Amino acid sequence: MELGASVRRATPWSHPLRRAMADSPILGPLLTLAVVFVLCAAFVPNFLTLRSISGIISAATLTGTIAIGVTLLMIAGEFDLSVGALVAVAGYLYAFNTVDGGSAGIALILAITIPAALGALNGLILIVSRIPSFIVTLGTRSIYRGLLWVLSTGALVQTLEDLPIYRLFNGRLDVLNQFAEGANFRTAVLWLVGLVIVFQWILVRTDFGSHVFAVGGNPGAAKAQGVNVKVVKVVTFALAGALAGFTGVLLFSQFKSVRVTTGAGMELSAIAAAVVGGALLSGGSGSIWGTLIGVLLISTLRTGVVLLDLPFIPADNFEAVVGATIVGATILNKWLRSRG
Amino acid sequence: MDNSDSPVVYMENIVKRFGTVTALDGVDFTVHQREVAALVGDNGAGKSTLIKILTGVHTPTRGQIYFEGKPVQIRSPQDARALGIETVYQDLALVDLMSITRNFFLGRELVGGLGPIRFLKLQRMNQQTRTSLSDIGIEVRSPTEKVERLSGGERQSIAIGRALHFGARLLILDEPTSALSVGETRKVLNYTLNAKERGLSVIFITHNIHHVYMVADRYTIIRHGKLVGNYLKSELTETDIADLITGVREA
Repeated sequence: MELGASVRRATPWSHPLRRAMADSPILGPLLTLAVVFVLCAAFVPNFLTLRSISGIISAATLTGTIAIGVTLLMIAGEFDLSVGALVAVAGYLYAFNTVDGGSAGIALILAITIPAALGALNGLILIVSRIPSFIVTLGTRSIYRGLLWVLSTGALVQTLEDLPIYRLFNGRLDVLNQFAEGANFRTAVLWLVGLVIVFQWILVRTDFGSHVFAVGGNPGAAKAQGVNVKVVKVVTFALAGALAGFTGVLLFSQFKSVRVTTGAGMELSAIAAAVVGGALLSGGSGSIWGTLIGVLLISTLRTGVVLLDLPFIPADNFEAVVGATIVGATILNKWLRSRG
Repeated sequence: MDNSDSPVVYMENIVKRFGTVTALDGVDFTVHQREVAALVGDNGAGKSTLIKILTGVHTPTRGQIYFEGKPVQIRSPQDARALGIETVYQDLALVDLMSITRNFFLGRELVGGLGPIRFLKLQRMNQQTRTSLSDIGIEVRSPTEKVERLSGGERQSIAIGRALHFGARLLILDEPTSALSVGETRKVLNYTLNAKERGLSVIFITHNIHHVYMVADRYTIIRHGKLVGNYLKSELTETDIADLITGVREA
C-alpha cells in the first residue's frame, strides 16, 4: 500500500557567517575575544606588550585548568561547586609532601587522586540521594573545607624553596621571558594547553565523550540506548576532581603558599568561563577550546580595564566589567546559536 | 532453526499489579512474523504497562513471555535489546544537541584503538548512517547535522532507521504519530510498512485509530487492563474499533 511519496523539506539558509557560527560552537566566543582584543590594543595604553599579554595568560591559567573539568561536568548536565575546596585540599597534600623534603611523585599522586576520589564521592552522593548536583556540592564544598580546617588546624603552609618540581609545573618560562622585561610567561600555560587538547579530544573523539554529551542532553534517551548514565556521571565528577587537584599543584608551584581559603570562588569563575565560552548551563553542549577562550576573554577584559585606569572606573570596579561581559557574551552566544 | 511458524512474540496471561492496583488482568498478546500489530486502547487502559513488560522496564506479577517460540525472561531493557526488540519512544529517542550520526550510533559506537585508548571511527560512522538511512528512503542532507534542526517526522524516521540498522526483529513504536503533521505522519506510516517489508514485525501503540488503521494487520484492544479482543483488519471498521475501546460495544 503506497501512502504517497516523501518530499524533501527545503530549509531556508540564513546568512552564511551566522550559520557557520551556529554550527561551530566556538566561532562566536572567538570572534568576541578577537573584537575585545583589538579594542584593547587600540585604546588601552601598554596593552600590546609581551608583559601585559603574559600577565593575561598567567592570570587565566589556573582558572582555565579547573574550568576544563567544570566544562566537562556542565556538558554532562551537572555542577560541582566544591572544586575550589578541592584545589585547597590538593594544595595542602602537595605542600606537605614537597616542603622540607619528601617525594615529589607521592605529592603529585596524592594531590590528584584524593580530589578525584572526593569528586567521585560527590557523584555517588548525587546518584544515591537524587538531589541536584548543585545542592549536593554546595554542601560538600563546606564539608571539605571544614575538614581541611580541622586537619590543617588552620595553619597556612608556605615555603621559599625553589624545587625543581615547582619549576616544572609553574616555573618561569624564561625562554619567552627573555624577550621582554617584566614578562611573566610560566610553564603552567603549556600544561594547560596540553590538557585542553587532551580533554577536547576525549570529548569529541571517544565514545565516552559522546556519552557525556548524551547524558547531559537527554539522559532518558541515553539510558534507552544502553549508556550507563550513572557511571558516566561519576567518572566525569572524578575527572573534574582530578583537574581541580592539578590546579592545586600549579597554584602551589607558583605561589608556594596555601591556606584553607585557597581557591574560594574559583568554581564560579570556572562556570562563568565555560558559559562565556559557549557551554550550555542546561547541559549537552560545550567545548574545552570554548572555555579556554572564555577564560582568556575575562582575563583580557580585566587587564584592559585595570590598565585603562579610567577616572570613573576605578580599578577596584573591574569586577563589574567582568560581570557585564559574562552576561553580554552569553546573550551574544545565545543569539548566534539561534540564527543557524 | 526455522521459526517462521511461531509468532515473534506471545505474551501469555500477563498480570501486573502495582500494590493494590491491577494494571493488567490476564492479558494475552501475540505478534506474528512480518506483521504490523496494533495495540490500541484509551489512555490508562494498560497498553503502556504491557509494552514496558515486553521491553524489560517492568516484570510481570504473573504470566510468561515467549519470543520466537522460546520462553524468555526479560528483566531489563538490555535483555530486550539483546533479543532484538527495539523501541522508538516519543521523546526518549534522540539527543537533540547531538548530530544524526552520533545519535545513530549512541551506545554502539564504532571504535578503534588499543586498550583504554578508544577513538571513534567517525568517517565510517557517518558513511554508514547515511547509507543505512538512504536504504529505507530517508535522505539526510548531512549526517553531522544536529538532530534539533530536523522536524518531528524526520526524527522519528531516524530513530526507526536506527532500529532497523541494528537488526531489530521487533520494532515497537510508542505513539509515533501523536505530535506530527499530516505529511510527517504519512512518512512515518510509510516507514512502518517499509520495516514490515524488510522482515520485521512492528507493534504500533496508539490511541489514534485513524492512523493505525492505515497500516496495521491485526488489532489487539485493551480496556481497563483487560483484553477486549484480537481482530484482523478485515473484521473491523474504524468505528468498530472506537466502540470497542470505549466500551460502547463489548467484544
